[in-house]
Amino acid sequence: MRILIAEDDALLREGLALLLRAESHEVVGAVGTPDEFLAALDATAPDLAVVDVRMPPTWSDEGVRAAAEARRRRPGLAIMVLSASVEPAFATELLASGPAGLGYLLKERVGRVAEFLDALDRIAAGGSVLDPEVVAQLFTRREVALDRLTDGERRVLGLMAEGLGNRAIAARLVVTEAAVHKHVRNIFAKLDLAPTDEVDRRVAAVLEHLRATEGR
Amino acid sequence: MSIGVRTGLRSTGSVLRIVFGGLGTGVLALVALLVVLVAGLLALLVVGRRLAPAALATAHGVADRERRRLHRVDPVVLLPADTPPPRSFRAALQDADARRELGWLALHGTLGLVLSGLGVLAVLYVLQDLTFPLWFRLITLPDRTYPWPQVDGWIARDLPSALPAVLWGLVLLAVAAIALPVIARVQRAAARQLLNPPPGADLRLRVTELTASRAAALEAHAAELRRIERVLHDGAQSRLVAVSVLLGVARRAVERGDADAVQHLDRAQAAVEDALLDLRGTIREILPPVLHDRGLAAALEGLVQRCAVPCTLETTAVGRCPASIEATVYYVVAEALANVARHSRATRARVALRREGDELTLVIEDDGVGGAEGTAVTGGSASAEGSGLRGIRQRVAAHDGVVRMSSPAGGPTRIEVELPCGS
Repeated sequence: MRILIAEDDALLREGLALLLRAESHEVVGAVGTPDEFLAALDATAPDLAVVDVRMPPTWSDEGVRAAAEARRRRPGLAIMVLSASVEPAFATELLASGPAGLGYLLKERVGRVAEFLDALDRIAAGGSVLDPEVVAQLFTRREVALDRLTDGERRVLGLMAEGLGNRAIAARLVVTEAAVHKHVRNIFAKLDLAPTDEVDRRVAAVLEHLRATEGR
Repeated sequence: MSIGVRTGLRSTGSVLRIVFGGLGTGVLALVALLVVLVAGLLALLVVGRRLAPAALATAHGVADRERRRLHRVDPVVLLPADTPPPRSFRAALQDADARRELGWLALHGTLGLVLSGLGVLAVLYVLQDLTFPLWFRLITLPDRTYPWPQVDGWIARDLPSALPAVLWGLVLLAVAAIALPVIARVQRAAARQLLNPPPGADLRLRVTELTASRAAALEAHAAELRRIERVLHDGAQSRLVAVSVLLGVARRAVERGDADAVQHLDRAQAAVEDALLDLRGTIREILPPVLHDRGLAAALEGLVQRCAVPCTLETTAVGRCPASIEATVYYVVAEALANVARHSRATRARVALRREGDELTLVIEDDGVGGAEGTAVTGGSASAEGSGLRGIRQRVAAHDGVVRMSSPAGGPTRIEVELPCGS
């Protein structure tokens, strides 16, 4: 894939470039500011972009806004957003506008190279990815809303929110795909969500539910 | 026993001082009272309004004089505050403190004057009577009549007939020994009641000051935490993430049988060493171990030696201070020297630390280009200041300290910091 990197931390930027090149991806650019990112986007037309949430000048949410703008300019672009710390608010905001082709991971996940590459492949294929740490935090804040679910359903819900499809969930939990499918149906029923099989829609639905029940 | 005698003498001395001094201020009070009354009467006819400020200032001046003189023997009477006297009678009557002051004026200018006068007279008579036998021969009044108000015509012709005066002097001494302390106490009580601010006022002021300085302390704490977070985030955390990535890449290279793996591992190790270096620096900035191991002077010596600009340190024996004060001094010197090295283009710098009683004074000077504007304010506002200087002001203000800075453009820069040290 042709990949564009937008990361202000020079060490990580170089590390990412090194990693991706070692895995036979083409790194078409490695920049450090949102403006450079958008310029490089227009110039190089990548398939996927890896973007840091915090960049100059304010180090608050430049990455999120740059990602939104990039999606507007190139609707088919897959974007992986990296963050140094868990910020569920950013996650929900980012994925609210349609999570297909979007990912949100903690920076340290990059060290788990196999999983990181898998996540990139997934979003390139139109799926979505949420860091398990972010999902865990989203869940712990809403214990009350989710206490109607069984433990098994809660686990499935977590993996669903991370962006895994039924087959991947089944593999992770070592159960049959049919069992996963049943769990998913129950979850959607208990949480009053419209059932759907498309991964990105599921992620969106779960996030929407979590956001709606915030604080209860 | 000698201590008792000494304190006895001292208290006698202070009583005499109060009574005698009271005579002086009593006269002044009487004069001021008359001035105020005249001005007050004239103020009723609009004409006199313009005299009010001067009259009231006179009254206030006399009261302050009394405060100062009594404070020397009785610290409970507070020294004059810097509040200006009221400028009109209406204001004076509305302000409780001013009312009390004028009340004192009336009291001391009349009763106080009389009492002090009696006290002084009593002392003079005692002295006169006790020493009468020594100088009675000098009296040139007809028949050497003893000038005694009580008994007419007591004639002292020779020593034996002069001795009763001594007896009378002793009686007077006994009376004075009882009466004078009472007079002194009355004057002190009058001053404490009428010239001191009411007991709540000082506390209210102090509470306001403490609230402001606590807010500054909390802000300084929050600022320090944010600084630490930023330093750790930008430094150590970022490097560790990079290490993780490099190790992940090395692992994949090993799995592929690539020779690159060793290179990646080398880079990972270098990144770890950088991270450790960074962490050591951060820790030193927070609270250097040297501060509680070897004290402030040694810690400052370290800072001075590490400074890029040649710097000298002058300290006298400052002893120990509360840890947060020492940390603040350390921080101020570190920040100031960092500024000197970064911005000032100085060739020499000097750090001086001394202790006077309960106060630490810190001076940092350099011969650089200046321009780091600031005014002598205790943690107040000053525009066009870097965040480092702001941090210094906040941390110093949080400890009830004072920062004075002069840094004219082109000229030398001097930062002076005073911090209370010790309880």
